[in-house]
Amino acid sequence: MEAQPLQAIAGFASYLRDAGFAVGVAEQRSMVSAALILSPADYQRLEAGWRSLVCRDATTWHRFPEVFRSYWFPDRLTGQVRVSGHTRPRRDLRDAVAALHRSMATDAERAATPGDAQVGGEQPADSAPPVERAQGGASRTEALEQRDFTRWLPQDLGRLERLVEAIAQQLRRRLLRRRKRDNQGQRLDLRGTLRASLKTGGIPFEPAWHARRRERPRVFVLVDVSRSMETHAQLFLRISRAFVGALDARVFVFHTKLAEVTPLLRRDSGRIQEKVNAVTAGFGGGTRIASSLGEFLDVHARRSMTRASRVFILSDGFDSDPDEDLRRQLWRIRRRGARIYWLHPTIERPPSAAVTNAADLVDAFAPVHNLESLDRVRLLVE
Amino acid sequence: MEESALKLALHEAGYVAEAGLVTTLWFAQALERPVLLEGDAGVGKSAVGGAMARVLGRRLVRLQCYEGLDLPQAVYEWNYGRQLLAIRLHEQDRSGISEHDLFSQEYLLERPLLAAMASDAPVVLLIDEIDRADEAFEAFLLEALADFQITIPEIGTIRARHRPLVVLTSNATRELSDALRRRCLYHYLDYPSPEREIAIVRTTLPDAESRLVEEGVEFVQRLRREDLQKTPGIAETLDWIRALHHLKLKALPEDPESILRTLSCLLKTRDDRFQMSAEHVRRLADGRDTGVAVSSA
Repeated sequence: MEAQPLQAIAGFASYLRDAGFAVGVAEQRSMVSAALILSPADYQRLEAGWRSLVCRDATTWHRFPEVFRSYWFPDRLTGQVRVSGHTRPRRDLRDAVAALHRSMATDAERAATPGDAQVGGEQPADSAPPVERAQGGASRTEALEQRDFTRWLPQDLGRLERLVEAIAQQLRRRLLRRRKRDNQGQRLDLRGTLRASLKTGGIPFEPAWHARRRERPRVFVLVDVSRSMETHAQLFLRISRAFVGALDARVFVFHTKLAEVTPLLRRDSGRIQEKVNAVTAGFGGGTRIASSLGEFLDVHARRSMTRASRVFILSDGFDSDPDEDLRRQLWRIRRRGARIYWLHPTIERPPSAAVTNAADLVDAFAPVHNLESLDRVRLLVE
Repeated sequence: MEESALKLALHEAGYVAEAGLVTTLWFAQALERPVLLEGDAGVGKSAVGGAMARVLGRRLVRLQCYEGLDLPQAVYEWNYGRQLLAIRLHEQDRSGISEHDLFSQEYLLERPLLAAMASDAPVVLLIDEIDRADEAFEAFLLEALADFQITIPEIGTIRARHRPLVVLTSNATRELSDALRRRCLYHYLDYPSPEREIAIVRTTLPDAESRLVEEGVEFVQRLRREDLQKTPGIAETLDWIRALHHLKLKALPEDPESILRTLSCLLKTRDDRFQMSAEHVRRLADGRDTGVAVSSA
């Protein structure tokens, strides 16, 4: 650690990437710059500084403190299950910052070549320190090996995407009263035409046109990845990814906690898919649908849930929250005018008391256990 | 300016900032990076720009974004009226005017972005509600914020003499591009903690009774936990406590009906106002959990 302060920060950057933060070389460079402009005694202020450098939205903003502490101060976290069996590597932020300052001072004295002080440049974007990588995540590696990727043939995936495209077509864009500038529009924009005519001395050489705005429905997909859904989670995540591609949907996975996985699903690579699976593999145990829906509404969709929203819940409906809570949360969604579609892996509607109690708040239930049943969802949505 | 000095200066400028925000603003100055502030309406995002301008003794240049905002309204526009007038006047005295003279600084209308770049003294540039602007404008802003320069074809490139401190705010009604986010330091402003909100109210309304401020803030904090369409922000808290102070109250009234009559300062939609009964208000004032009424759909 003392000898390689830059690697310590690179290790944290890599850890952030694994946790879903978009940290590239530029961000890593900024993190080092931030560490250098603070005096070593002020290392505690780095958390706030790095937070503003690497967070991009409210979700990452709220997650950062936990990720920061789990990397630099794992001993302060309570209630964490340690399953890796590895001894935790010693990491000391104060030492890292002090060593960084010392190494820069030494470099300046020696007038060393710039290559010595490269920040992340030599380290591949996704590489990580060898031992730190296993932090709390033995289950992560095991999960990747256990996952069966061979169930899906390329032609099945293509068909799945076409089916979701058909659902997207069904969710037509809503015509609004408001208008926008559109050169293909049918109606003359008098104000715009007069404004444009100013530069030609008042002669309207360039008429401006406008057309009515169309609003795309905002689609949210919530996938239950609890233990009871383990065998279906793969299919449902594939469906979710198709939703992201076709409708720019936001996808969340939940069991007892909720996490957004949209950025992971946007990038179609084997490694990203592994990470999604790693997230879901780490989950397990009970399901708290109502609490997860509450968190979804309070944190992630507080402003964006409108009557143009469509919420797809992919779950078997077994909820360990009190039965009436699910009704309350579904009612909160309906109250904003959004529509709710519940896709379940069973042929019949989920028999749980929570779902039965709130069934009248769901616009449609549909079984989705294979591609044929997904095709029928198209007929239900609007 | 040191971080502790910045916090004190912000407080003196009338802005009670949390420690994390002070650090972000300090880093923004040290690293010369724009700050993107996100959060619900009424949490004090735009006020940061004004407060920083007062702290640094700089002019505040504000660009209010809206749907359909285009470059002539945000960056610059030629003063066509004056140009036509100049042509006519030069025609009359037969002196003529060259195209070069016609497209000079004299006939240029500076809009906020250009004003911030071309200013002789450093300024604070507040780009308010960037999420309301179109994606095309956001793409333009990327270039402007990366190089701090603006190219006017007829004149040339205008480079900022002093890098402005740029504060962008967003209500997150639209997803901003990742490219814009990457260029900024990000800070999410949440509703304030009770202690911070009490400090804010005391700074703004020093004459209000201490007990009224504390009880009022506690009431608003509990109200925010309710399922409201429009959660009251700090501005609403200030309005409400100012109204109660004008009513010569020294504490929250015991009678819930009296509180209910003043809630128009806090509740801004019909549904929110409709769901708030005297009983509901009494429970909130007593500090009890009210739960949420669930109607059958």
